[in-house]
Amino acid sequence: MKEIAKLVVVLALICGISGFVLAYVKDLTAGPIEYAKIKNVKEPAVHSVLSGYDNDPIKDRVSFPVGNDKYGRPVSLVVFPAKKDGKTYAVAFEASGVGYKGPIGVMVGVDVNDNKLTGISVVSHSETPGLGARILESGFTEPFRGQDLSKDLTKDNIQALSGATLSTNGVVAAVNAARETLAKYRDKMVN
Amino acid sequence: MSLMKEFTKGFWELLPPFRLVLGLCPTLAVTTSAENGLGMGLATAFVLACSNMLISALRKIIPSKVRIAAFIVVVATFVVVVELTMQAYFYALYVKLGIFIPLIVVNCIPLGRAEAFASSNGVLASGADGLGIGLGFAISLFALGTIREIFGAGAFFGAHVMWSSYEPMGFLLKAPGAFVCLGLMLAAINTISARQAKRKLEAARLAAAQA
Repeated sequence: MKEIAKLVVVLALICGISGFVLAYVKDLTAGPIEYAKIKNVKEPAVHSVLSGYDNDPIKDRVSFPVGNDKYGRPVSLVVFPAKKDGKTYAVAFEASGVGYKGPIGVMVGVDVNDNKLTGISVVSHSETPGLGARILESGFTEPFRGQDLSKDLTKDNIQALSGATLSTNGVVAAVNAARETLAKYRDKMVN
Repeated sequence: MSLMKEFTKGFWELLPPFRLVLGLCPTLAVTTSAENGLGMGLATAFVLACSNMLISALRKIIPSKVRIAAFIVVVATFVVVVELTMQAYFYALYVKLGIFIPLIVVNCIPLGRAEAFASSNGVLASGADGLGIGLGFAISLFALGTIREIFGAGAFFGAHVMWSSYEPMGFLLKAPGAFVCLGLMLAAINTISARQAKRKLEAARLAAAQA
């Protein structure tokens, strides 16, 4: 009995201390990890949809809550502003639409003065390679540049992919979702 | 002197994975380039040195019946520390090594050294043992990764080194290529040590004949 108690106490102590150490390290690295993720995953997309800025859109990013997800947890939107002489003239943020095989995440860049797209870049998707996955190609994303976001975009405005209608629709839906987000939170994005 | 011996035995006598033939899973999987091999090796070396020292310090407290569980917890703690640090400061490498970083926990080398060495030796000796074996592992992985990258992709640390008409042997970057490379290196190392043993034997015989 005494031996069992010793086994339990020692093992519990080791596990407990390990837990504390890990919680501490997790806390310590949370900031750098978030920055590394944004820097490595989002930065290329942000660079491809914005141009002509003289600030660091990654460093100047702003985030604000935009409601809750289906589990009731708060969701926040991260916006990357492009500034010239300290004034925001365009913003980039992620929006998503449903494609053939699941959500398509699209980084959308919008000029906030004339409401025109400065570019889009697909950041996450699970479309079919060779078919829907062609939404990654510049031949598909390039015609989005300069589209007017004052009204809903339809696939007649852009070069739809033959054989990948649902993927095309997903990207268009993501851009239209971005349009609604922009209309709703414009004041928070541009300040 | 003996500390130095504990440290250096990892570079030849017990050189993993060739002598210990442990830890083959990450060896075969991540050595597709010199950079990956070195990153994986150094991560393992850090875990090995730290866990060896801590386990050695705790060896009188840990009851032998639960020692394996206690060792695993200690190793796992250091592995998660490495994983988080790598994710924060070496994100590109973290993405490439992926699942193999958490899998250091079940890599046989840290547990094997804990059981075979740290649980019956002092803290300093265990640290030297862990660091030596770990660096030996890093060197092996680096060498294997270098060979596979140079011949399989014609590059070294991502920079082209082979002449322009060189046709890279893509086979070497696949899993079977890893086995072939590992086998050839193991054969080379065995040949060298067989020759060494023979020379030592002859020297001993010569000394005996003279005396």
